[in-house]
Amino acid sequence: MTRMLKRIAKVAMATLVVAGSANLAFAEDKEITFSGSGGVVGKVSKEVWWGPYTEATGIKINHVAAEAKRMPQLEAMVKSGNVLWDAMEVSASDYPLGVKKGLFEPIDYSQVDPDNQLPADTREEFGVAYAAYSQVLIVRTDKLPEGKKMQSWADFWDVENFPGPRALRGRAEDNLEFALLADGVPAEDIYKVLSTKEGLDRAFAKMDEIKPHITTWWTSGAQSVQLLSDGEVYFCPSYNGRITTLVSSGIPAEIVWNGGAMHKSYIAIPKGTKKLKEATEYVKFRTTSADRMREYVTHLPYPGWAPGLFDGMDPKMAANMPTYPQNQAVQFSASAEFWAENLEAIQERWTEWLLQ
Amino acid sequence: MNTNRKITSTWLLWPALFMLVAFFLIPTLDILRASVYDPEFTTKHFVKLFGSNVYLEILWRTIRLSLIVSLICAVIAYPVSYFIVLRPRKQQIFFLFLVFIPLWMSVLIRSYAWMVVLGREGLINAIMIGLGFTDQPVKMLFTTGAVYIAMVQILLPIQIVTCYSAMSEIDFDLMRAARILGAKPWQAIRRVFLPLSLDGTVTGAIIVFMLSMGFFITPALVGGRKDIMMANLIEFQVNQLNWGFAAAISIVLLIATVISVFIIKRLAKTLTRRLVGGGSA
Amino acid sequence: MIERDVEFGASVTFDSVSKTYGAVKALSDFNLSIQRGEFVTLLGPSGSGKTTALNVLAGFADATEGDVRVNKKSILGLPPERRNIGMVFQNYSLFPHMNVFENVAFPLRLRKMSQAEIKKRVGDSLAMVQLAEFGDRMPNQLSGGQRQRVAFARAIVFEPSVLLMDEPLGALDLKLREAMQLEIKRYHKQLGCTILFVTHDQGEALALSDRIAVMGEGQIVQIDTPDRIYDEPNSKYVADFIGTTNIVDFERVSPSRVRFSDLDVEFELADSNKNWGEGRQSISLRPEKLHRDISPSDQMIIFDGSIEEYLFLGNIIQYSVKTKSGKTLLFQEHRGPSVPILARGETLKLAFSINDARPLDEGTHGSGLA
Repeated sequence: MTRMLKRIAKVAMATLVVAGSANLAFAEDKEITFSGSGGVVGKVSKEVWWGPYTEATGIKINHVAAEAKRMPQLEAMVKSGNVLWDAMEVSASDYPLGVKKGLFEPIDYSQVDPDNQLPADTREEFGVAYAAYSQVLIVRTDKLPEGKKMQSWADFWDVENFPGPRALRGRAEDNLEFALLADGVPAEDIYKVLSTKEGLDRAFAKMDEIKPHITTWWTSGAQSVQLLSDGEVYFCPSYNGRITTLVSSGIPAEIVWNGGAMHKSYIAIPKGTKKLKEATEYVKFRTTSADRMREYVTHLPYPGWAPGLFDGMDPKMAANMPTYPQNQAVQFSASAEFWAENLEAIQERWTEWLLQ
Repeated sequence: MNTNRKITSTWLLWPALFMLVAFFLIPTLDILRASVYDPEFTTKHFVKLFGSNVYLEILWRTIRLSLIVSLICAVIAYPVSYFIVLRPRKQQIFFLFLVFIPLWMSVLIRSYAWMVVLGREGLINAIMIGLGFTDQPVKMLFTTGAVYIAMVQILLPIQIVTCYSAMSEIDFDLMRAARILGAKPWQAIRRVFLPLSLDGTVTGAIIVFMLSMGFFITPALVGGRKDIMMANLIEFQVNQLNWGFAAAISIVLLIATVISVFIIKRLAKTLTRRLVGGGSA
Repeated sequence: MIERDVEFGASVTFDSVSKTYGAVKALSDFNLSIQRGEFVTLLGPSGSGKTTALNVLAGFADATEGDVRVNKKSILGLPPERRNIGMVFQNYSLFPHMNVFENVAFPLRLRKMSQAEIKKRVGDSLAMVQLAEFGDRMPNQLSGGQRQRVAFARAIVFEPSVLLMDEPLGALDLKLREAMQLEIKRYHKQLGCTILFVTHDQGEALALSDRIAVMGEGQIVQIDTPDRIYDEPNSKYVADFIGTTNIVDFERVSPSRVRFSDLDVEFELADSNKNWGEGRQSISLRPEKLHRDISPSDQMIIFDGSIEEYLFLGNIIQYSVKTKSGKTLLFQEHRGPSVPILARGETLKLAFSINDARPLDEGTHGSGLA
């Protein structure tokens, strides 16, 4: 019995030693591990960002395609003290969560943006906004009534003038904002209103109006595209980048920028990385290189705020960008802070409301 | 000699036991721990869970949906299995092969396939409009009915295979024995074949039930807004890093499943006794 | 419900019954009548039609032609459950989901007997098979012999007109089989029921039956009491099937003289026995009917042979003896202080009585009805 235990202990020790030396070996290399989106985003990023970055700095980028459960994974790593990622993408809604749980290193802005060129609202303590994406209304133009054009959330709510099946995302975030906009609340006031009990009631009351007309409540971006292309619904908010898929497969669809919810994606550094310096360097590269970003948006319409991004960009393309000044002006900036604070309570009410 | 052999055979059990402890018992205990230590001992997650109608409502919906799905599966699988078991051996293998084919496709793909079939502009509506049965598309997708259809289709092979294997073990001479002892054909089926095959049906139904309790992709894709499952809640809470609350929901789901399975077994036992002992009318 | 106009022991008649499965004739012109309370065995190899006969009587198979009567009433129109026939299956066919009591009570419940009546009858039946204390056991908690006895109790508890037993001892080991044979004999005596027993084991048939019907190709080749079947087989087929025997060829060289070419001897028939072996060409000669102590008489046939091999069978020794013409015969004798074991290669003279030599028919077609 004891002999067996000893043997097990030996094997375990050996495993640890081998694993440890492997870690050391990696540390020798100039390489950082980056957790980012897979799929098309990963493919384009490799070409536009990682290759050129390695060329410029000699630091290789080891890409780990992120699955949906990124935050639980990160928390497990930080808790166990075995952080495998050196930098990572963080969605707007995950960012406050990570901050609250202390999962990120603070950003050294004297390194990233010494000249203070990035807009103030992209410079967060633990992350830098590197890209914008919007949840915007997408309309099947071929299903619109003759001569009419859907232009706002009020129109989306107007089932008389714009008949046809609709879908919404099955979460409270953005939807309550859309409801308030439809109810006539000015964009700059929506979070002030939502923060009050009456405001929340008002948003849910407005949701009550549209509820019977919603065919389904989608759970993934892919699903929303499927719904629109199958003709399952005619009007449906989705992420601005998804329009490309629809248009390229010949489906007549367009974005209504007005009332869109603009979200920021952050790049952050997991707490406890051993390559803080290299990771910080990459954060700077990813958020401030205007020429790279300009090329990136020719593939994917998720631009950032690199100074001078729109200089010399094709105006037609610029018009598809959520951060294009004209587009940004009619959208509202989704408040990750508000949702970080209120999501749990509102989600419970939201679920209850769905069940009614 | 004898004792030696005993020692050897316990040794052989060790890997399985180790797997069970390492990959089942410890994680389960860890989830239980996470549900009551956050970080100090607390019952707040359970208080919240049982204090809100939402969670209990969804628990009840999950159980009800799972029960109905397993019931439909059982009712459909029974005659199908009976049909297969009556075939010659070679044909049985062929029919079982047919039953197995859908299992090679992922649940996600099969769920999307149902969207194509049941949708507004889907196959069924296209046919019905084409044949003039209706001029407006009938809403089938995004209803609870669609959830039943898709989940039954996904889980049916499991039920058929379990039911079939139980039936194939029944000695058909028992039916003859029942007949010659005085049973009419339907009495022989009710008192002998049915009780003997019920065991396999119940086992299959329990497997289907347990799998259903953990379903969430299919209801989310083809169901209506009310088709929210406990697993959806768990997923949401995990993504919010609310491990404690997610753990509490998991524990409640686990306990609810165990209790339901227990009740199903008891009901099946009573039913079998009824079938065997009841009046011969 | 079931008509109870038949007695526990009923007569059974198969009247020219034929049964074909496609092109295969499982039974052809099968005739058999069983007396009340008689124990008749259908003996034959698989495919000889014995199980088909049982199935036709039980109602599991329809007769293509002919009639089957129980107590002189045709039962062919009745489904199995209305024939009031008891049956013991080869693999017992106890209901695995019912305990012993419920298994035995099954036919009574279907006959809607009162609870008290059921209790009494099941109790009696189980007592008879010495399993009175086993009512609560499930079948899988019983040994093979116990299951067999439960199956028997279940088959007789409703006092059927006939009891069918389909190779009921086939699944038991030799010791148990012999013990169960005695028990079945005892039950038969005690109950006085009519039993139709099916087996391919000739020893079993000889031990149990009042009469044995040896079957071949869907017909009865010979039907008779065990001793007569053994002593006087009517055909090569029966002689071969029952026990161990020597088939010896002969020919008639003159009206009163036969020649056993296999033994290289001729024999003069006595005047009283002139018709012996008319129209036949071979005899059955049981190994134990051969003798070494030769007391010449006009009934004895004597021939020469040499010992080839011997088998030690306990109190009996079985020798293989080679005759002058090269034929090998089996010869058995009881051991005793005055009977020395013969060595290999030893030559000897053997004799048998003409009355112990049974002239045989060639085929399987015997005399049919006895």
